[in-house]
Amino acid sequence: MATLETDVLVVGGGATGAGVAWDAALRGYDVVLADRADLAEGTSGRFHGLLHSGGRYVVKDPVAAEECVTENAVLRRIVPDCIEDTGGLFVTTPDDDPAYGDRFLEGCRATNLPGEEIDVAEALRMEPRLNPGIRRAFTVPDASIDAWKTVWALARGAASRGARILTHHKVVDLHVAGEAVTGARLRNELTGEELDVQAGFTLNASGAWAAQIVKMAGIGGVGVIPGKGIMIAMNHRLVNTVVNRCTMPADGDILVPIRTVSVIGTTDIRAADPDEIPVTQDEVDQMLDDGERLVPSFRDARALRVWAGVRPLFQDEKAGDGEAVDTRDVTRAHAVVDHVARDDIGRFLTMSGGKLTTLRLMAQDIVDAMCRQLGHDRPCTTATTPVPAGGDSHANGNGYYHLGSRLRRREATLQDEQLICECELIGRSRLEETMRRRGTTNLDDIRRSLRLGMGPCQGGFCIYRATGILHGVGRLDGDEASSSLRGFLQERWKGVWPILYGDQLRQARLDDWIFQGLLDVEHMP
Amino acid sequence: MSHHDAIVVGVGLAGLTAAARLAEGGARVLVLAKGVGATHLGPCTIDVIGYAPERVERPGEALAGLGDGHPYAAVGRDGVQAALDWFKGVMAPYPYVGGLEENLLLPTAVGALKPSAAVPGTMAAGDLREGGEVCVVGFRALKDFHATLLADNLARAGIPARAVELDLVPEGRADVNSLGFARAFDAPAFRSEVAAHLTARLGRDERLAFPAVLGIAGPTAAWSELRDRLARPVFEVPTLPPSVPGMRVFAILRERLRRAGARVILNAVVHDAERSGGRVTGVQARVGLRDVRHGADWVVLATGGFASGGLELDSRWRAREVALGLPVSGAPGPGEERFRAGYFDDHPMGRAGVRVGRDLRPEGLDNVLVAGATLAGAQPWREKSGDGISLSTGHRAAELILGQRAAAPPTEPAKAEA
Amino acid sequence: MAIEHDVLGDLMRGSLDHCVKCTICETFCPVSNVTPLFPGPKYVGPQAERFRVPDETSPDASLDYCSGCGVCTQVCPQGVHIAEINTQARAKLRERTGFRFRDRLVARPDVLGRLATPVAPVANWTLRNRLLRLVGERLVGLDHRAALPAYPGRTFQRWARRHTSPPGVRRVAYFHGCGANWSEPRTGEMTVELLEHLGCQVDVPRGQACCGLPAQSNGMFKLARRYVRRMARRLAPSARAGVDIVGTSTSCTLMLKREAREILGLDDDADLRLVSDHVYDICEYLVMLLDRGELRTDFGPLPMTVTYHAPCQQQGHGIGKPALDLMALVPGLRVIENDATCCGVAGTYGLKHEKYEIARDVGARLFGQIADAKPDLAVCDSETCRWHIEAFTGARTVHPIEILHRAAGLS
Repeated sequence: MATLETDVLVVGGGATGAGVAWDAALRGYDVVLADRADLAEGTSGRFHGLLHSGGRYVVKDPVAAEECVTENAVLRRIVPDCIEDTGGLFVTTPDDDPAYGDRFLEGCRATNLPGEEIDVAEALRMEPRLNPGIRRAFTVPDASIDAWKTVWALARGAASRGARILTHHKVVDLHVAGEAVTGARLRNELTGEELDVQAGFTLNASGAWAAQIVKMAGIGGVGVIPGKGIMIAMNHRLVNTVVNRCTMPADGDILVPIRTVSVIGTTDIRAADPDEIPVTQDEVDQMLDDGERLVPSFRDARALRVWAGVRPLFQDEKAGDGEAVDTRDVTRAHAVVDHVARDDIGRFLTMSGGKLTTLRLMAQDIVDAMCRQLGHDRPCTTATTPVPAGGDSHANGNGYYHLGSRLRRREATLQDEQLICECELIGRSRLEETMRRRGTTNLDDIRRSLRLGMGPCQGGFCIYRATGILHGVGRLDGDEASSSLRGFLQERWKGVWPILYGDQLRQARLDDWIFQGLLDVEHMP
Repeated sequence: MSHHDAIVVGVGLAGLTAAARLAEGGARVLVLAKGVGATHLGPCTIDVIGYAPERVERPGEALAGLGDGHPYAAVGRDGVQAALDWFKGVMAPYPYVGGLEENLLLPTAVGALKPSAAVPGTMAAGDLREGGEVCVVGFRALKDFHATLLADNLARAGIPARAVELDLVPEGRADVNSLGFARAFDAPAFRSEVAAHLTARLGRDERLAFPAVLGIAGPTAAWSELRDRLARPVFEVPTLPPSVPGMRVFAILRERLRRAGARVILNAVVHDAERSGGRVTGVQARVGLRDVRHGADWVVLATGGFASGGLELDSRWRAREVALGLPVSGAPGPGEERFRAGYFDDHPMGRAGVRVGRDLRPEGLDNVLVAGATLAGAQPWREKSGDGISLSTGHRAAELILGQRAAAPPTEPAKAEA
Repeated sequence: MAIEHDVLGDLMRGSLDHCVKCTICETFCPVSNVTPLFPGPKYVGPQAERFRVPDETSPDASLDYCSGCGVCTQVCPQGVHIAEINTQARAKLRERTGFRFRDRLVARPDVLGRLATPVAPVANWTLRNRLLRLVGERLVGLDHRAALPAYPGRTFQRWARRHTSPPGVRRVAYFHGCGANWSEPRTGEMTVELLEHLGCQVDVPRGQACCGLPAQSNGMFKLARRYVRRMARRLAPSARAGVDIVGTSTSCTLMLKREAREILGLDDDADLRLVSDHVYDICEYLVMLLDRGELRTDFGPLPMTVTYHAPCQQQGHGIGKPALDLMALVPGLRVIENDATCCGVAGTYGLKHEKYEIARDVGARLFGQIADAKPDLAVCDSETCRWHIEAFTGARTVHPIEILHRAAGLS
């Protein structure tokens, strides 16, 4: 078995893990990050894309709100190209209590959140499709953030400081020696090879899967309730501002414009297993009804895709959390679980709870805790260090991501290049370059990098093209090409069949025609 | 409002066939369609039945085994044969090969061998039932056809195959679709250039596969020239849409319709029917911001299925037929399972459509006939029966109407009984 | 609470949801099929629209190569209002890039007619002088080869004011458009004479001016709105009196019927809605009478061969090709239907220097068909198309009404 030595092993390649790797690398530690799948393939890649202003929490969870207020501003500075400055609205729909708006404003003042009430007419001018029956409206500095891009930027930043990012490496066991965790045994999920990591410190940033890792250290009494949330991406931007219902946090209370789509979210349902989170018909219906409340005729608009994510809602029996009935009542603030104090196990810390907006603070807290345990004085600098932007920065003048950027880029190469994914405007050279850079032959990995196949046709036209190109440039042999194509079809199907109605059903049937009637993928060798 | 002997709704293969046959049979025909139909998208191979569920070798024989609920039950083998005969006659400028006796096995662009009953002559040499050496010619500028993938998969299926990729770029375009290549192949100079690039590179026994882009102005000119110049069988393999063979077929059927004197109105979205007893006396069509009524003795509904928008499922999971409001059968109701989790599973929604009797009429309507993908009971793309159903039911609908017209001159619509 | 919200315009944009990428519009687009400069209707329409931010200029300047012919919307089987989406996006683009003097000029056919008519001989000489046209091409970008209107020096309106229509079995109002008024008064006169022959009493509402279509196609929505509102006000009294309005300029009738409401966001204009409900293309109207059995069909023989091209704007009406049904009533007339989609000029598109050659290539198929047919006359419903076709084929090109006028023995 091959062996790696490192100062810090970070378990989990979501937003938290990537943030931790970046933070630790910036403080001069040698870092190895391991994820059982691709980066941001768990909760981070399955959220609605909201960069919280904090407005969602001002009444119910002021601590979380204050964290959001601060971190929202920090992320805008350090990863501006991952953020679109959409602004946000809280609106009182006809079904909501207008009095909540007063508590909301009070909460904003108490948490330094710049929330302001505006005329309903003004809100409707900003967002003409909004329910004209809304009774109050407030502006907040919500934004949308591309989680994949953020995680990759952090991981790339860490790697530029020497960190080794091991995707598709699952932790199969932790090494515990005496009263400390000393590393882990990893298995490469693609090749089956095992790898031994000797780590000076192990940071558990595996979110909804954290309890499984903790258990490997022989520690009991820690649980994670996977809080399932479903989200539906609508075909285009029904709104261009984040729209929240001005109520206590509830289901289906937010519509986020991100990239070319708008995402309605979300539910919060206790799940048994973070890897088993099927979408049910009732949940889809509920989301659509909730969408209708914010934007009339929402049900007539085209739904592209539905998916579920799991929130890492932490339960610590020793901390007296007990059994929460509603997962929404479990705190959304994060905490570092100190396994020395709790379990007499050293060189091992677990991050509990949290949310993407506060990823940087979470990383700071856990790396600070590690430094304390190690007796190192290495201050955190992530709040003031911009994360290096990727080579494909889409920033506009003020540094933020701009929706029109791909269209602008395409316009510049219109006469020179083939367009492979027409929905998300991905040219051939970017596809080939991404294949090389990511070193992957998996179309689904490429999808997450480029949004390949994530537009209206859900791969109907581009999957065949991408497969042909991958095969043609010799990155896939025939066998791999066939299984990659079939695998991608199945992956796409998973996210569309529960929302197949209206336009998207027509699309799915046209795609069937292509894959079954024209190409006959089913009987492909 | 106008009044016609027959209104055909839809201009896909089913609608065009029904309309052309009706018009040449002497009926005054009005064709109403939302837009251009699916001929532009599909390969235009007449797949009658390819899987049931095992691969079918003799489609004519397999028809009987499909059951009463299948659209072919209303057509019968003779009906399918008659439709094919008619179609092959109409397609004289772009001759078709094959029939109901045996399915041909033609490679698709991913190298699957797909069973088809009748195919354009330009594709026929791709019948690989007996094997054979294949050289697949691709164009790097054509993103909708990948020669190496096709060749590699053929080789994996035991058919000696290799790919040759050419760097010719028609019209100086970096991004050119099948139609752009087809226009290029219309030019003799381009054909010569392609032939020149290939001449020295071919094995003795290799037949040549090209993407189905060999010309659009003359449907067979480029194909036959390449075959002759390179002295070997040449065949086309359908690409992703747009479909050049489909456009050839569309042009021929459209011209046939024009000559037969049918009126065609695009952008007329039929959304309601005017009924009197068991008859539809007219249809309502939305045209721009207006609503227009058209009267007719007969209506052929050929609007397609869920893919074309002839059938719709709304977000409350209610299925409807959009033009005449006919009941949709086989669609699971709200709360019932519509689709399964595996893409290639047998989906409960798969066979939903408008159910008809043996005369293609939906229950309770005397003068409406349904043709094509609107019909319930088939899984056209799974079982490879799409264009076969469209052609044969469209043809059958026209024959039934012409037969009735011959038997009894059209009468005034019966008054609804009190 | 007043909400400024253009519901119909929003429906046009929202129709992008229906796009399944099927490529049918691309196969029909006359422009993208002859030049790579235009990436095609699917691209600039439903695809690019998902990347456009309201109140911002679209970064894809290539959409300016859309000629606005509308064929994409006509052939789309899924109901995507592709051309409408493009026109709106193009206008936004033009607002930023500013309007060229040339575009301001061609957007005002009425002003041009008013200026040229009193000095018609000079105007015509100027417009046909190669040297001056070359100067014009340099200065303003109006291609020196492009077919421009001629000014006969008299107007249809003047003729109409002196003309009294005898009582008939029905009344119609004639919407003549700028073309008939300033350049082809004879087309207007023949229309009135034919309608009278067919039993109609013809009103010609006073004060008709530009309907705003050229301004709309050139992205000047404000000007277009002003023009079309004015036009609607002038025609509304007829509509209000229950009189149908017929027009010979097929693109201008389409503007009143549908485009101004869909594209310019004027669905709240009561006059326009009323006019929109009552306006018909002349051939559409006559075939409606024919279908009702109310059209006089005793046309005399006309032993000649004509070609017929249904222009794209006529196809935008969604009425099929009624001119064919009408010409079929004329004994001895041999009509060869052209199956080309577009002649290329698309109103003012083909006049522009940077687009002239594209327009020529678009029209090549049609011109070839007409040349092959060697017709006695070429027939086409739209005036700018007629001028363009004449320029390229040399065949005299007339409105279908002229055929009927002859067959009715009126000329």
